[in-house]
Amino acid sequence: MDFLTIGLGKAVPALLYFLRVLVPVITAVTMCGCFSSLKLGRRKEDPVIVLKNTVTHGIIPVLYWENSIGRSRSCDIVLRDSTVSRDHAVLMRRESGWIVTDTGSKSGTFVNGRKIKSATPVMPGDVITMGSTSLSLSRTADVKGLKLKKPYRRQASSPAALLFSASAVQLMFCVQLCLAGEKASLEPLLPFCAVFVMEWGMYFYSVKLLGRVSFELETVAFLLCGIGVMLIAGTGVKNSYTQLAAMLLGVILFCVMIWFLGDLGRVMRWRIVIGALAVLLFAANLVLGKEHNGSKNWIYLGSVSVQPSEFIKIAFVFVGASTLDRLQTAKNLTGFIAFSAICLGALFLMKDFGTACVFFVTFLIIAFMRSGSLRTIALICAVAVFGAFLILKFKPYVAKRFAVWGHVWDDPGGAGYQQTRVLSYAASGGLFGTGLGKGFLKNVFAGSSDLVFGMICEELGLVLAVVVVLSIAMLMFYARSDVTRSRSTFYSISACAAAGIMLFQTCLNVFGATDVLPMTGVTLPFISLGGSSMVSVWGLLAFIKASDERTYAARRKRK
Amino acid sequence: MKTTGRRSLILYILGAAFLFGLGVFLYGFATQGGMWAVQPFNKYITTGVSSQGKVLDRNGTVLAESKNGKRVYSSDETTRRAMLHAVGDTTGYISTGVQYNYRAELSGYNGIMGLVTPNGKAGGDDITLTLDSSLCRLAKKELGSRNGAVAVYNYKTGEMLCMVSTPDFDPENVPSDINTNSKYKGAYLNKVMSAQYTPGSIFKVVTAAAAIENFSDIDSRTWDCSGSITVNGNKITDIKAYGRLHFKDALAKSSNVAFAEMAMELGTEKMTAEANAMGFNSSFSLDGINASKSVYNVAGAEKNELGWSGVGQYTDLASPYHMLVLMGAVANGGTPVMPYIIKNITTPYGTALKSGAAQAGSRLVKAETAERLQQYMRYNVTNAYGDGLFPGLKVCAKTGTAEVGGGKKPNCWMVGYSLNTDTPLAFAVVVEEQSYSIRSAGKVASSVMKAAAKIK
Repeated sequence: MDFLTIGLGKAVPALLYFLRVLVPVITAVTMCGCFSSLKLGRRKEDPVIVLKNTVTHGIIPVLYWENSIGRSRSCDIVLRDSTVSRDHAVLMRRESGWIVTDTGSKSGTFVNGRKIKSATPVMPGDVITMGSTSLSLSRTADVKGLKLKKPYRRQASSPAALLFSASAVQLMFCVQLCLAGEKASLEPLLPFCAVFVMEWGMYFYSVKLLGRVSFELETVAFLLCGIGVMLIAGTGVKNSYTQLAAMLLGVILFCVMIWFLGDLGRVMRWRIVIGALAVLLFAANLVLGKEHNGSKNWIYLGSVSVQPSEFIKIAFVFVGASTLDRLQTAKNLTGFIAFSAICLGALFLMKDFGTACVFFVTFLIIAFMRSGSLRTIALICAVAVFGAFLILKFKPYVAKRFAVWGHVWDDPGGAGYQQTRVLSYAASGGLFGTGLGKGFLKNVFAGSSDLVFGMICEELGLVLAVVVVLSIAMLMFYARSDVTRSRSTFYSISACAAAGIMLFQTCLNVFGATDVLPMTGVTLPFISLGGSSMVSVWGLLAFIKASDERTYAARRKRK
Repeated sequence: MKTTGRRSLILYILGAAFLFGLGVFLYGFATQGGMWAVQPFNKYITTGVSSQGKVLDRNGTVLAESKNGKRVYSSDETTRRAMLHAVGDTTGYISTGVQYNYRAELSGYNGIMGLVTPNGKAGGDDITLTLDSSLCRLAKKELGSRNGAVAVYNYKTGEMLCMVSTPDFDPENVPSDINTNSKYKGAYLNKVMSAQYTPGSIFKVVTAAAAIENFSDIDSRTWDCSGSITVNGNKITDIKAYGRLHFKDALAKSSNVAFAEMAMELGTEKMTAEANAMGFNSSFSLDGINASKSVYNVAGAEKNELGWSGVGQYTDLASPYHMLVLMGAVANGGTPVMPYIIKNITTPYGTALKSGAAQAGSRLVKAETAERLQQYMRYNVTNAYGDGLFPGLKVCAKTGTAEVGGGKKPNCWMVGYSLNTDTPLAFAVVVEEQSYSIRSAGKVASSVMKAAAKIK
């Protein structure tokens, strides 16, 4: 390898700088490609099936997998019939076919003249009667004169091409790292190869073996993880091994969760068990946990340390979204509020303030998406503000973090130590960084976890750092765009909650390190060093992936 | 599901908060990045990855440079001490120093590349000052162990030639007792820029300007200076009884009685208006380095206090830098050429980033008043202080002996400028705790002006 450094000689620094300019550009293009491909590849909002009014012969298109029927204007299918209840029934599509359920209407719901008591399958040609309105179910193809939206002409980029450019970015990081030291080294090839094998292995498993159409979400995740792994390898190649192992576990968890979430019936059966497990895990944490840096959020199993709250995040989303009984009819949040209170209480006992904030915001998102009641949310927020006030008053370690907020430059050697280092080194890196593995922030405590945003700025440059955090934020758009196209409200809510968690964690991490917000010690999704957080973020990603109906569409085709 | 879709818009609140926060960070990065990067703890600077640029004087003498990640200063200790406040120290405690205020430039920081360059080696920009280190050295020697401030600038070109403040310390061997030993009190302060001294009689220039503008019979009037007057039971005194004095002699002999009477006759409003017009209570800066304000405030003052304010006592305060600018203004017919200290900043590639140039400030004195003041201040030198003090120069000046109370000796001032077209130099000198202004401040001004006149 020496011949390379000697051969290139003085050109090496310039070459490395060129790579640092090139990397954010390719990363940005790849990210844009992924997100535009997500949008282009989606099903149009065309009717899946139609309902025909047997009297007026008016046609009502059925657009979603779950449709509420009733007099209320918020229903998906609005019936202008005073004998119909506000929320009368729900028409759902499940693996077995179309099902109709009465949601506590006054006059009841009838299928082919029979009053239904529970979920009842409906076939094309069947007539559903609510109040004085009768609707017959028909296939879209059987109805003439139905206007369909034209398919997009533009072709989305191929998943393989996008993954290929992600690998190219990672290779460029690898080259930078190989040439970073005094002597060129081949050691950084190892983490690169590991990521490479994982991403292409997953690609072949998912696209070729399972026949799934989309791979954009995984590409985004692999690209981000790759950046994180290479950044950690820059602090010493050996440091990246645990992160790689966690990444592998994360990918496996992702696959298992996609499978698990596939069957809505299974999801409903397991929700109590998972909720109970989450509470047990918290209890175990409180009993077995050891205090570390002021918070008691770690369990040590032999040489492996685990942060249980990271996994409870997944359970929290799961429980929050699945305890929804029937579409829109269950406005009762009591059970979920109780579960959330237990979780938050446990986190306060562990003194993990940052994670408690994450849970609280997740709770708000889920509670609002379920109830839609701004009044409830406002009430909860008021209680939370009061609670936060009490915490600040009685917990000096939290108050101390707030006191230094905005004043980090007053005490750069003490309370503002970490933030001033982040700002100073981030600015030292300029737009394109000082070079992978060549930074100084990595030597500061929590440099590659809590302060990792500063490390990206320093070593890889501000441009890439912004591209990275924007990519995480973009997951929000993805989760939202699938909200009405997913197979059930469960998927919609869980995807939004998962995207919300990732974005909120990004906010806390990035703004905490840069003194825009008080420092809370939360990890940056996909990037930060930390096994538990890496595994959990892949679990959260599974919720978003599951909300995309294409994830399961292909599998059904193969049956 | 439509409702769920609508409710999912709640995520955008989070998204908006994220973008806002990112905006705050990026705004900070763009506007304060240089400040963030250039910190004494930043290892890019201390380990020599990025070596800081040099600070040079007008003749190219190196005043500060980086060698192997260490900041080193001139090899001569007196030069190091004389230039300390202009150049600044390594830790950045001297906040008016060039090394602190231009740390981003010296470190080579720029918003695009941070502290590194594509060739892997970074170098800061070099800063050449307009100061003459040997002149500063002389001023430092003249002050000796006395505390004070000396400033000289060319009032036509704006170049600052001398800026010295004492007490000082050696930036290469910072004394360990600097924070406890009383002899280092104010050592971090550049008194030219940051000190506020009681002006004493040099304030009579302001009272004189107000009198010139408001008394039409100024040259025919006389003041009876019989040693003291009593106002509201308070005595305003002179060193001795001068007898009946014309205006120009009242100024030359610096009669407190005459000027206190003028101030009382003019009244609060006219005095305040004149002081404000001449730059009191306003901010001045030197290449972005802010100077302390001079203060004139007679709101609610008793008549005797107004009298004292007219002779530069009461609550009056003057910044040496402002006095220097005011002298520049009188010399230039009322509008000063603003001083500058940065001659140029050059990148390691040799390209010039900034070069200083003459820039007019806002008018401080009416043209007619400036002309009259010039005559009177010239008369001060020829008839009272003696032209022998400034051989070969036609100097206009005013001295001041400001009482500071507290059992301390007065602070002695001399401010002025030379009329010679080939040496258009203005100066402001303060020497603390002295008895006679001519023997202290006057002597310092004399040697410094003699040497400054030789600078090309």
